[in-house]
Parts: sequence; C-alpha cells; structure tokens
Amino acid sequence: MSLIPGLGLVKGMALTLRRFFQPKVTHLWPEVPAEISPKFRGRLQLLYDEHGTLKCETCFQCAQACPIECIDMGGVDTKGRYAVHWGASETYGERREESALRRSGRTVPDVAYEHWSPIDLAPVDAILHDADHDPKRLLEILGATQAAYGYLPVAALKRISFGTGAWYAMVYGTATYYDHLRFEPPAAAAAATAPSSRGALEGDYLSGLDQAISGATKPAGRVH
Amino acid sequence: MTVVGRTWERLTIPGKILAVVIPLGAVLTAGLALLIALIGGAVVQFLVDNLPLVRFVVAATIVLLMTVPSAFLIIYMEMKVIALMNLRYGPDRVGPFGSALSVVHGLKVLMKEDFTPTSADVPVFTLAPVVVYMSSVMSLLVLPFAPGIFGQDFNIGLLYFFAMGGLTVVGLLMAGWSSFNKYSLLGGLRSAAQVVSYEIPLTLSVVGVVLLAGTLSINKIVLGQAGSVLDWYVLRQPLAFAIFFIAVTAEANRTPFDLTEADSEIVAGFATEYSGMRFGFFFFAEYVNVFIASGLTVALFMGGWNAPFNWPWPVTVGLDPGGLGIGLLFLLALGPPVVIIVLGLPFYLLNSQVKFWQALIIGFVLFNLLAVAAVLGLAFLSFDWVVGLLWFMGKTYVFVFTFVWMRGTLPRVRIDQLMGFAWKWLLPASLLNLFVTAGAILVVNK
Repeated sequence: MSLIPGLGLVKGMALTLRRFFQPKVTHLWPEVPAEISPKFRGRLQLLYDEHGTLKCETCFQCAQACPIECIDMGGVDTKGRYAVHWGASETYGERREESALRRSGRTVPDVAYEHWSPIDLAPVDAILHDADHDPKRLLEILGATQAAYGYLPVAALKRISFGTGAWYAMVYGTATYYDHLRFEPPAAAAAATAPSSRGALEGDYLSGLDQAISGATKPAGRVH
Repeated sequence: MTVVGRTWERLTIPGKILAVVIPLGAVLTAGLALLIALIGGAVVQFLVDNLPLVRFVVAATIVLLMTVPSAFLIIYMEMKVIALMNLRYGPDRVGPFGSALSVVHGLKVLMKEDFTPTSADVPVFTLAPVVVYMSSVMSLLVLPFAPGIFGQDFNIGLLYFFAMGGLTVVGLLMAGWSSFNKYSLLGGLRSAAQVVSYEIPLTLSVVGVVLLAGTLSINKIVLGQAGSVLDWYVLRQPLAFAIFFIAVTAEANRTPFDLTEADSEIVAGFATEYSGMRFGFFFFAEYVNVFIASGLTVALFMGGWNAPFNWPWPVTVGLDPGGLGIGLLFLLALGPPVVIIVLGLPFYLLNSQVKFWQALIIGFVLFNLLAVAAVLGLAFLSFDWVVGLLWFMGKTYVFVFTFVWMRGTLPRVRIDQLMGFAWKWLLPASLLNLFVTAGAILVVNK
C-alpha cells in the first residue's frame, strides 16, 4: 500500500489512458492480408483425378524440394505399389503421436508402415554394418538387401535411410532408378501390374484408408 | 375492361404509386384543414389554458425520445473506448467506425423472444423494467441542459431527482421478486442493499452544495455557478465532489461497484429471468443512468452549462433577415444557384477531367456544407442556449468517458468492501463535509 491513498488508482487510470492512444494490435483480416513467413507453402493436399484416383505418382520431388523436410510419404502409388499417405500430419489420427514425437526431436517409430508385413531387420543391419553405414555406397547396400530378401521391403528401405542418414527420398529414388531393383516379390509383381486387378487394389486400399482415418480400425483391404 | 382499368394498366409502377398517394394526400390535407377550421381554436385555447401541462407532456416526450439515442451513443462509446484501451479496434463493421453497432444491438434485442417464466408474478414482472426505465427518464426532467432548456424548474428539483432515482430500487426489487428465481431474488436484494447504502452519502454530500446555493432547484444551482471556473462548486466542495462521484458511480451500478449485474461473475443478478426488450429496458436504463449521473455531476459541481471562462466576445448577435425586405426573396431565389456555380466553377476550369455536371455536383455539396455551417453558426451566435447546450454536453460526455475509462481500468470490489466503504468512510466523510460547510457559512455570514 502506497503512502498516498489513491495513487494506485491514478497509476492504473494513466496506464489505460496511455493504452488508449497506443497503436492497436488487432490484425484486420481479411482487409489486410496476413503476414506469412516466406517459407510457408500452405496446406499440403493430394489431388484426385476424374476417376477418383490419386494423381500422386510418388515421384518424391516434393519431398526432395521441401525445405524443412516436413513431407514424408509411403503407401500405394498409381501403380498400386505404395500407399501414399500425407497431408498435414495433424489431420491424420494415426499419425498424431508420430507427429508429436517428431516435433519433440526423438526417433520416430513409423506407425504408418506397421501394416506392411513385419520383416526381420537383422540382415539389413548386417549389410549396413558391412557397408560402414555409408550413404555413398547406397547401390551396393540396396543390391545386397534385395539379394537377402528377394525384393526391397519398405521397412528395409526405411532402415537403410535411418542407418545411413540418407533421405528416404534418396533411397527410394535410387531404388526406382535401377531396373534390377524391385519392390515386390517376383511372383506378386505380375499380379500387381495386371490391369484387371489395379482398380480393385486401389479401391480396397482407399476404403481401408478412410476407415483408418475415421475409425480406429486398421485397413482391411488387400494391402502389400 | 373499363376505361379506368385500361388507364391503370398502362401506368408504370411509380405512376401507380403517385396516382394513389397524391389524391390520398389531397384528401388528408383537406380533412386536416377542415378539422383545424372547425375545432382548432378550441384546442389551442385549451392548450393555452393548460400551458404547464403541455410543457410537462412535451418535455417528458422529448426526454423519453432523447434517452434512446444517448443510450446508443454511450453503449457505442463503451464498446469502442474499452476496446481501444485493450489495444483492440472494437466495433468497426457497421456504420462509420462501427458507430451503428449499438443500434444493431437494439434491433437484435427487439427481435428476441420475450420470455416470461412459469409461475412468475406476471404483472410485477412486466412492470419492473418500466419502473426502472421510467425512474431514469423522470429524473432527467429536472436536469437543466442549457439556459431555458429543462423540463421543469422545480424549487425542490434536487429532492425530486433523488426521489426518482430511489424509485430504481423498487424496480430492481420488483424484478428480483417476481422472477420466481432465488438467484434473481438474491440479486435484487443485493442491488437494493447497494443502491440504498450509497443513496445516503450521495444525498448528504449534495447538502453542502445546497447550503452554498441556498436552493434545491438544480437550475438555480447552475445559475449560482455563473462566471468562470473559479465559481464552480467543485472548488468550494472538493470533498463533496469526491464523495458524490463515488456514490453516483455506485448508484449507476458502474465498475468498480457493478456487483448488481457483475456479468463475469454472477448470471445477471435481478435480470436473470429477463430476455428480449424487457432486458433491453434494464440495459438501456443503465446507460441512461450513466448519462444522468454525468449530467448531475456537471450541473451540481462543474458549472452546468456555464462556460469555464468569461466569454470574451458578445455571444448574442441580433440578426434580422426580415429587414432585407424584397431583397430577402431575391437572395433566397438567386443565392443558392449562384453560389453553387461559383463554388463548382473552379473545379471545372482547373481540372480538365471534371465534366461540368460533376463540377455542379461538387458545388452543390460544398454549398450545402457551407449552408449547414452558416445555419449552425447563426444559431450559435443568436441563441445563448446553443452555446450552453454545447458546454453542458461536452462536460457531460467527459464524465461519461470517465465512467467508461474507470470500467476499462478498475477491478470490481467485493460486496463487504462495497458496503463497508459506504458506511464506514463515505457516510462520516459526507457528514464531516456537511458540518464544516454549515460552520463555514455561519462564520462567513456573521
């Protein structure tokens, strides 16, 4: 309590009167456009063509170009091989925890790939150890991995990316560039590329994805 | 189809409207003229015979009509000023600078359902807002706005004012009791306790002013402060002014004494069960009370409509337009077109982009601005009540701003602090002020 009674009142009134004349902080949107960071690219969104199929070719150019490496993808591409799954990660319930983990800076167990058949990663680890975890020897590692599994499982690619420190986009790009590397077991590759089964595969996957997004159930369709 | 029907079909829509409106207007005008010719003399005689009654009715109507725009203005001021103090912009969508937002609020309140709770005491419930609002409006009747501009110059004006102000308590208690809701009842009792407690220091603080002025008529109290700022009672009764201002804040239920409808803490006090325009009346009465509180503070302590300094030039100028004779007719006929052309011509001559008709429009607008300014200036110079009204309104709105400013600054007091302050501090202080003033008057007059 101050010595002069009423001094606090006067101080408070003076404060509000100063505020009265100070510049205001309200942002007059939409008259004044919002100031956004030059790095901001807006909301990530996948487009569908007129048949309702994803237009994404899983070319990973966006992931390569992304300056803050926020784009990550997996899933089924247009050839029915990979489930493409992206967007604002917060909008996908199944990726919420992962997103939180990623923001916290810890290593993220990739929940999105859990529905792929789990594989034994010991051979990949051995190969990586032999190759000295060197990203420059990526082709060698990939070849050895294909020799070990018969094809390149996504989980193995992820493991290689994690182990070598190369972007997954790099690993995937290298794997798709060379003809001798494949992503499916040789028997299933023919079935997957057959024109009759393509639409059904994608439809199954998309409905399963919808269920996974809306409900808690895992996609029940035929997913690789 | 008859001739009349075909003619009617051929008329355009404006033609149809005019064809109805013009005969109707002619008939009504003729009827009115006939009515005036037949019973006009008797009516005028009756009005002349009962001039005080007429004056009262006219004043009550004007005061009632005046409260609505002033309440709108104060509501807008409150929204805008508090927003600016919060570093926000506040209302800025409806009207210029959002000034029509309070009108929109009023329309919204009008459109809401007027709900009466089951087992409420319906007549009392319905009358309570009316009582609250009428008590505000009735007390405005004795407030002098300018020399000669007041409803009634009572010789007991101040007493009447406080009596009418005290009627608010009745309305609040009616609202709280008739709502059939224990929270409403508690709120009503609480606000009644507050208003009654602060009524006592309020009235006692004014007694000093009454002793100095020697009258209870507010108009004569204002006249007693004529002269410069040194003659205002705020300088002779500073303690009374402080007590009065605090007590009138509590009377008007303003922050920091707005426990009656502390909207962030209790639901709405006595107005819990009210909705629609009935709630609107409570709401309006609150803001009319702010105006009244400011106006009374100005009238009693701040010199009312007196200027704060001696006016250096003669205010009244005797202008007699009738003295021009036939020249006035020529002036009225030729003046506007000539001035419009003279004002618009420079725009046409100096700017090749402006067409002549555009220049004429510019000239017309400028002429109207000039004419309005000239009429206002003439009124300002010819009638001293215009100046008085400006001074009174200016001072009053300074106090309204202060109320809003306080609301933007001060936190709410507790109920025990509220009552304790009234009884333990304000009441002794006002009694002290009263005795000291009385003693001083005795000493000076001896």
